[in-house]
Formats: sequence, structure tokens, C-alpha cells
Amino acid sequence: MSERVYLLPLWVRLWHWTNALLIITLTITGISLHFADPKLPLVEFSLAARIHDIAGLALVAAYAFFAVANIVSGNWWQYVPKPPGIIDRCMVQARWYLWGIFQGEPHPYPVTKEVNFNAMQALVYWFIMYIMMPTLLVTGLVFMFPQFAPEHVFGMDGLLPVAVLHYLTGTAIVLFMIAHMYLGTTGHTVTTMFKTMITGWHEH
Amino acid sequence: MSWRNSIAAAVLGLICFLPAVPVLAADAAPVDQATIEQNRKANAECYSCHSAAGIKNPPKAGLDLGKLKDSRLEPEVFNPSDHGVMDCRQCHAKNHYAEYPHAEAGKAATSPCTECHAAKSLRLEPQFNASVHAKNKGLKEKFTCSTCHNAHVSIVQKRLKDPAKIVAQDNHGCLECHDSDLIFAKFAPDGEKTPGTKKKRPDIDAIHDWLPNAKAHWNAVRCIECHTPAVAEGKMLSHEILNKEKAEKKCLSCHSANSTLKVRLYRHMVKEEQQKYGFTNSVMLSTSYIIGATRHPLLDSIIIALAVATLLGVLLHGAIRIVMNARRNKGKSQ
Repeated sequence: MSERVYLLPLWVRLWHWTNALLIITLTITGISLHFADPKLPLVEFSLAARIHDIAGLALVAAYAFFAVANIVSGNWWQYVPKPPGIIDRCMVQARWYLWGIFQGEPHPYPVTKEVNFNAMQALVYWFIMYIMMPTLLVTGLVFMFPQFAPEHVFGMDGLLPVAVLHYLTGTAIVLFMIAHMYLGTTGHTVTTMFKTMITGWHEH
Repeated sequence: MSWRNSIAAAVLGLICFLPAVPVLAADAAPVDQATIEQNRKANAECYSCHSAAGIKNPPKAGLDLGKLKDSRLEPEVFNPSDHGVMDCRQCHAKNHYAEYPHAEAGKAATSPCTECHAAKSLRLEPQFNASVHAKNKGLKEKFTCSTCHNAHVSIVQKRLKDPAKIVAQDNHGCLECHDSDLIFAKFAPDGEKTPGTKKKRPDIDAIHDWLPNAKAHWNAVRCIECHTPAVAEGKMLSHEILNKEKAEKKCLSCHSANSTLKVRLYRHMVKEEQQKYGFTNSVMLSTSYIIGATRHPLLDSIIIALAVATLLGVLLHGAIRIVMNARRNKGKSQ
């Protein structure tokens, strides 16, 4: 019989699923806007623009909630890659993803109440949540209020670098999301981790 | 009449007609520097009263300063304009302005635009007649070229060059009426629902509430980008101003790689580098990043390739897991 541990408080789960829903919405509308073309009928342009604006602001609010709740609850510590031996632990984890998982080997660093993330997860989550996400949100806000963008950069509209940075960070988060959803299937069973994110209880 | 006689008559007719045709402004030879100097010297006489400096220090006693304020112009504004090389009296009949006070008939005797712009006027008239400004009852008679085009200020797109300045100038022509109850009332047709009352000025924000980031659009593009019919490459925009029902509402007309802004706001830049730093429609980037239109195809390809690689990567990883798991289970059962 598998062991159970209560891992994720309600606020983390609510924030996670809100975040997921908003990022999926922003991805679809963002693709509709960036790749706007009469031959690519995704979401109608003006509708996509409105949804993207609203969902974007909601994501800013969700992130602000996450930042505050993270500090108050001490959850921020989970995201900090902790030396020593980070690289070695990452190598062990990468070996498991590329080899051990196919051989049916157990997770090299099982989840505990004290340490939720393996070293590789902590590194990636830290990079996504503390570097990529704020950059995406700030560039999105400047996009929404272009008066805060520089007037000109290298003889071009100052919004261009903001737009490119928004596009690149958005892409990084979408690629992370694809991998994140897939890696969610690598638990005790394919659905274990999804259940954990719904109930808060983790099964070994 | 034989065809030879027909041609001879046509040529003869044309020769006789030519001296009567006014100067075609667009084809007119550039004005030489000596003439410009001469005209500006003559205009200085007008500015001695009709300018801020003239009003501050009137050269004559008893001037009607109220009237002067309404007819003041600054050389810094007029000189760079398209008409800035001309003598004021070329349009403002000289025989009425030699003496002070000026003759009352002077204003009515101002030369019409068609005196110089006859050919263009003939071409544009049918377009204007189809315009909302001519179709609304009682409006056509109130409209002249100068209702929208300020002859003392206007600079043609090709000379103005900077799209931001073109937008500011051209939108001013529209918003002067459409953003002012006072001026709109002077032109307003009868109200459709309540005859005898004047149509109220529609709230500009309310009628554009369907347009995301309307304010950003008004700073970046002209009203006429959407409120004129489709235009062919290299052609001038039509003077047929479309009402809100007929105006363009398809965002993709501008927000796509094949943006119509190429042949509208940016048509004077058509000979410039269009793919600078690899961006599509890079001339637009000089003033505006236009989502959908100013893309970087190489960057897009790299990003699409990365997304496809990630998807294929997880699918392949998943497939290997399934196969390996099946093999393990088979091994266990044996």
C-alpha cells in the first residue's frame, strides 16, 4: 500500500489551477494575436485582444497573491535551489528522466513534507517563477500601457524590445507548461500527481 | 468626319483649351529661392498685423484685435506648409487687401482651391460625392476643401515623412469637428429621429468602444485608415469618407503580415527597406510595433520549431515509457 502525505495547502492548489487556466487562455489568445492571419482562424482578433488583456491582468493579480502568500507561508523556500551538490543532484535527476524512468527505477529524491521539489525542479521553477514570470508580466503591462515604453530604440518603436521580450518569455513559459504537464504523469501512477494537485495529498 | 479630321480637331481643341486650364499644382515646377524670398518679404507685411507679434504690438492704431486674433497666422507654421512658398495675396485677392481697413468683399473673393488644383478636384469630386460628408442632407453645401484641409498648415504625406506627424495632422482635420460639440453643431444635419433638431455629435469613445485600445490607435493611425474604401498600391486614398456602418472593422486588415497600412499610412515609405533586421513591414516599426504585422519570420520559425520539438520530445518520452513498461510487465508475467 502506498504512503500518503499532506503536501499542498488549499491556497497553493487554488493558485495553481487559476494560473493554469489563465496561462492556457493567454497562450491561445496570444497565438491568435501574434500569428494573426486570415488563413489562421483561431480566436477573432479584437476578442482575442480583450480576453488577453483581462486574463493578463488576472495573471498579474494571481502572481501578486502567489508572491504574498509565498512569503507569509514560507513556501518561497521550496523554490530555492539549495547547495551543496545541486549539480550532482541535478545530474542524478536527469539520469532518472533519461534512463531510470524507463527501467522502472524509483524517484531518486522522493517528495517529503519538508522538500517538495527535487533539485532540477527547484532550479527550473525558480527560474520560471522568479525570472520568466515577472518579466512576462512587466512586459505585458508595458504592452497594455505603452506610454511607459521608451519612445525609440535603435531608430525603431520603443515597444519593439518590450514586445520581443514578452514573446520570448511567453514562449519559455508555454514550453515549460508542455513539459510540466507531461512530467505530471511521472508519479506513482500516471494520475497520481494530478490528484495531489487537486486533493493536496501526495502518494508515494 | 474621317479619323484624320477627328484627331486634328481633338489636337486643335486641346491647344485652344490649354491656356484656359489653371496651373496644375501637383505638376507645378518647384518655386525658385528668389521668388520664395520675394513672397516671404511680401507676407511679412501681412504678419505685421496677422501674427502674435502683430497683435502684441499693433503697427496701426484702432485695429480690431478681436478680428485679428481669429485671422492670425505664424510664419513658423505657414512657411513649412505646402503653400508656405506662396504670397498670401495669391489666394487672398490682392486688390481687396491693399488698404486698411480691408474691403469687406475680400473674404468672399478668396481664390477657390480649384483654381490651382483643378485636375485633382475633378478626380476627387465623385469620391467626395459618395462620402458621408456629402450624403448627409444639407452637409455637402457646407463643405469645402478647407473644412478638412487647413491650407495654411497642411503638409503633404511625402514631405511630412514622419508617420506620427502625418497621423497628428490628418486626425486633427477629423477631430476638430468630431471631438467638438461646438464645431460639429455648425455642420450637423437634421436628426433622423427628431426632425427640426440637429443631430447630436456621437461620442467618439462610445462609437469606438468595440475597438481594443482605441486611444492607442488614434495616436498610431489615421481615422481614414478605416474610414475610406480599400486602396490599390501606389494610389492616393479616396476622399469617400465611410460612415461607421461601412468603415473597416476587420482588425486583420492592418494586423497581419499583408497589412494594408503598407499602402495607406506608410505608402510614402514604399521604396525604403521593408525587411530591416529581418522584420516584416519594418518601415512600420519606425513609429509603431503593430502586433501581427511587424513580425520576425526567422524568430517565429525558431519558436515554432522549439514548440514542435518539445511536443515531439514529450510524446517520444511517453511512448518509450509505455513500451518499456509493457516489456517489464511482460517479463514479470513470464
